[in-house]
Amino acid sequence: MSDGARFPLVVTFLVVAAAAALCARGLQRSRDQEEGGRRECGYAATPYRWWILAAAVAAAAVGATLAPAAWQRTVLLDAAALASFGMVWSDTATRDRWAARLFLQLLVLSIVAVAAGEYALSAGAAVRRGWLVVGLFALGYGLKLALVPFYVWLPAVAAAASPLTTVFIVSVVDIAALGELARLRSDASWVFADFRAAWLAMAGLSMLGGSLLALAQRDVKRMLAFSTIDDMGYLLVGIVAGPGAGLAGVVAGGIAHSLSKMLLFGGVALAEAGLRQPVSLDDTRGLAARFPISSAAFVAGALVAIGMPPTLGFAGRSQLYLAGFALGGPWLLGAMMTATALAVLYYARAIHRVWLGVPDPRPGVEPRAAGVSLVVLIAAVVALGAIPGLLLAFV
Amino acid sequence: MVMLPIAVLFAGVVAQLALGGALSRAAKGWLAFATCLAAFGGALFLVPAVFGAPAGVERTFRVAGTPVAAAYRLDGLGLLFLLMATGIGSAILLYSVRYMEREPRGTTRFYALMLAFVGGLSNLACAADLLMLYASWEVVGLCSYFLVGFWYTDEAASRGARKVLLMTHLPGYALLAGILALHARTGSFLWTDPAVPAAFGTGVFLLMLSAAMAKSVIFPLHTWIPEAMQAPTPVSALLHSACYVKAGVYLIARLYSLGPWHPSWNTLVVTLGCITMVAGALAALVQTDLKRLLAYSTISQLGHIVTALGLGTGIGVAAGLFYCASHGFFKATLFLCAGAVQHATGTRDLRQLGGLAARMPWTTMAWLVASSAIVGVPLTNGFVAKWMLFGAALDGAWIPVVVVAWLVSVFTAFYMVRATVAVFYAPEPAAGMSRAVHEAPLSMRVGTWSLALGCLVFGVAPQPLLSLVGRTALVPLGFAEPVRVSWFGVQLPVGQVQVTAGALVVAAVALAAVTLYALRRRPEPARVLVFTGGDPIAAGDATVNASDFSAIAEAAFAPVSAALDPDPLYRAGVRGVERAALAVQRTAAVFAEQPLEATLIAAAVLFGVLWLV
Repeated sequence: MSDGARFPLVVTFLVVAAAAALCARGLQRSRDQEEGGRRECGYAATPYRWWILAAAVAAAAVGATLAPAAWQRTVLLDAAALASFGMVWSDTATRDRWAARLFLQLLVLSIVAVAAGEYALSAGAAVRRGWLVVGLFALGYGLKLALVPFYVWLPAVAAAASPLTTVFIVSVVDIAALGELARLRSDASWVFADFRAAWLAMAGLSMLGGSLLALAQRDVKRMLAFSTIDDMGYLLVGIVAGPGAGLAGVVAGGIAHSLSKMLLFGGVALAEAGLRQPVSLDDTRGLAARFPISSAAFVAGALVAIGMPPTLGFAGRSQLYLAGFALGGPWLLGAMMTATALAVLYYARAIHRVWLGVPDPRPGVEPRAAGVSLVVLIAAVVALGAIPGLLLAFV
Repeated sequence: MVMLPIAVLFAGVVAQLALGGALSRAAKGWLAFATCLAAFGGALFLVPAVFGAPAGVERTFRVAGTPVAAAYRLDGLGLLFLLMATGIGSAILLYSVRYMEREPRGTTRFYALMLAFVGGLSNLACAADLLMLYASWEVVGLCSYFLVGFWYTDEAASRGARKVLLMTHLPGYALLAGILALHARTGSFLWTDPAVPAAFGTGVFLLMLSAAMAKSVIFPLHTWIPEAMQAPTPVSALLHSACYVKAGVYLIARLYSLGPWHPSWNTLVVTLGCITMVAGALAALVQTDLKRLLAYSTISQLGHIVTALGLGTGIGVAAGLFYCASHGFFKATLFLCAGAVQHATGTRDLRQLGGLAARMPWTTMAWLVASSAIVGVPLTNGFVAKWMLFGAALDGAWIPVVVVAWLVSVFTAFYMVRATVAVFYAPEPAAGMSRAVHEAPLSMRVGTWSLALGCLVFGVAPQPLLSLVGRTALVPLGFAEPVRVSWFGVQLPVGQVQVTAGALVVAAVALAAVTLYALRRRPEPARVLVFTGGDPIAAGDATVNASDFSAIAEAAFAPVSAALDPDPLYRAGVRGVERAALAVQRTAAVFAEQPLEATLIAAAVLFGVLWLV
């Protein structure tokens, strides 16, 4: 990854962190005003711990993106991931702590695998034990990025933790890890070039498996978790494709993923806080009339996620399609487009079942700060999508 | 200057969003109308430049110091669609001012989306960069999705919008795949690149055609358009006449610019066009909702247009483009009339309407002009369009096309007469109509009549439009000028038709007949024998009207229309995907039940595979 790509990534992390923090602050204030601060979500009940950990995640991710040495980046990335575990632990109820424990166990496994891979790489194992190095990296980054078949922690965490905590994981920690994988693509290109089929198999399974599993969900947060797995499959294609359209797609697509997930989870967070129950395809209807900004954020996030012009999503997705077509011809392009078509199906279903339709007559409250942050993000994804050259110039 | 109309339209979108909160509903409407009219003026300003350079005016805009660039080429084909979008769009926006005045909320969103809709098609028509063309294609689609779902708290509107999105966006990936395939072979996204014709093969053609089929409601991808009727009427008018369905027509015509067509491609397009003509007309015969009837008639008319484009000759393509512009005028007029009827009566059910000719005379007259045009009555642009289509088909010895188009023209006359009688001339419904039913407000009438006049003007004097088509639009598509346009009208290779001279004779005769009729005493109604096609008339029924015929048609063609509906197949497809998703979830359940063990096993499998490879 080029040095120029660091700047937009860092800005994205800061923007997402700020937007998530504004949403959390707005929700906490409105809840404090309504109920005198009674516990409803983790970040309301343990504000200081949550804020400190959120700041730590953002700072570590930014540091990992800017750090010059490999060991510094690795340490900071692991710190960001462990801080995100702390956020999950702090806002899951006792009965849901198993998700946090699972997250920690697999996080430790991923840290060990990546560290071992880097040690093997530096020790010159590439020549005789190439498969071992690739296996360690595939396992480590597969776990960090929740690629199929190592995805199991993400849906569990998304269902158990608050949506804004999940945002920090999927929009900041995951994308910072993706940046590190992109550096590996530049520093040790044989890891991908010599084992292309294995990486593409993981990417294909993540795209198609993630989208099919998302289609099978009823809980919107779990659906969004599987859509993240789907997105990571596309981004892995870009990394395997390498310099040019591939890495340009990784940067633009990664930023689009980051912002879209903020919009999607942000919209769900506001609606959940207003409803005092999870947003589900089974029993939540007509929320757009009660929560218009949340609804607009969800729709905009979905459009970015499926790569719809004129949003930022198209800037990334078009580069990834180009890279995929160059790498795997019509078959890979067909797989990518099939996965996107499935994503259109599940996002359209969620939008029309949950947000549109006959409204619930009860009024909904959307905190002002949260609303403003989401509106600014919507404007940003449309503006950057309308003039994608402004972003791609950094790549 | 190429970007002037587009820049004006998108500035209008920004102005709507910025000022929407401060302006009244009517003021927002006037602002949108003025914006679109200014864009139309900008498009007219470009006409001399395009006539001076038939191959097209090319401009690339760059923002200094950045890779931001946009490549445009405006030729006759693009200009035709640009004029159509902004001109017809202006009339529809003028109509919208009063139509949307009653809407309690969402008018900022409405006008911003309408302007973006027109701007999207304008950008599509001018784009030289295929990736930008695709982006414009999807902007048009996205605007229609939001506009069809304008009343998003209404379940029917929400469902309609979802169907529009799924049925038009998903085939859009075929267009993108075609563009990427072209790029892989040429290294360029510009359709103007000299390497494109050599790279333009059957695969790319089929991919792009399937995307165009969904947009242009070509069988079997046509079933979304009746559901889109849940939108406010100005949206329906714009969607059917100028913007949405015409995007697909533009793409099919533009495919001639990419390279020469294989004869089998022409056969395919003509076949699809003919099936679409029939399917749309048969479905229109059995409708009782006025807007749905018009929606199905759009399908049928688009079949005519695509058939003409598929003929593959200069005169055929000219016929298709002239038909496309003509359809814009008469279909927009019909929708605006239908909207005025619904606005006044609160219903669009043919069974609950009647007797509006006396209460809404201006609307009735506009409807009569436009329905005459869609049927192909001389003096209207529809007649010239049909004449050119038949001429081109005969010229190319496409006899089955002539037969099918003739049959469909009969069906068209059938359902249009039926709708006309039911809405305007049938007795008022038994329940009685409210006294409040009255003629549409002035701005709505002006909007409607500006389009209806277009039907008459280009029926009597089609020369300006044909000059645009014949002298500029066909050149970049690789056709020599196929039609001679004289002061008296159009001269086709087969059968000389002096349109203006003939129209003047017909108009003189009609005027004489009306004068004679007015001078004579009005005759008493009398019992007459009427040929009913063999169906018995109920005893004591001394008169026969179009409803009697339509009842016969409904009974005869409803099963055929149902058999031609592909929706059950699509529903089965979606159910199949959902079943596959559930099956994958059941398989994946093992990961959720034993997550650590499953992860470790998966890791072992991964290492094993890598070691073996």
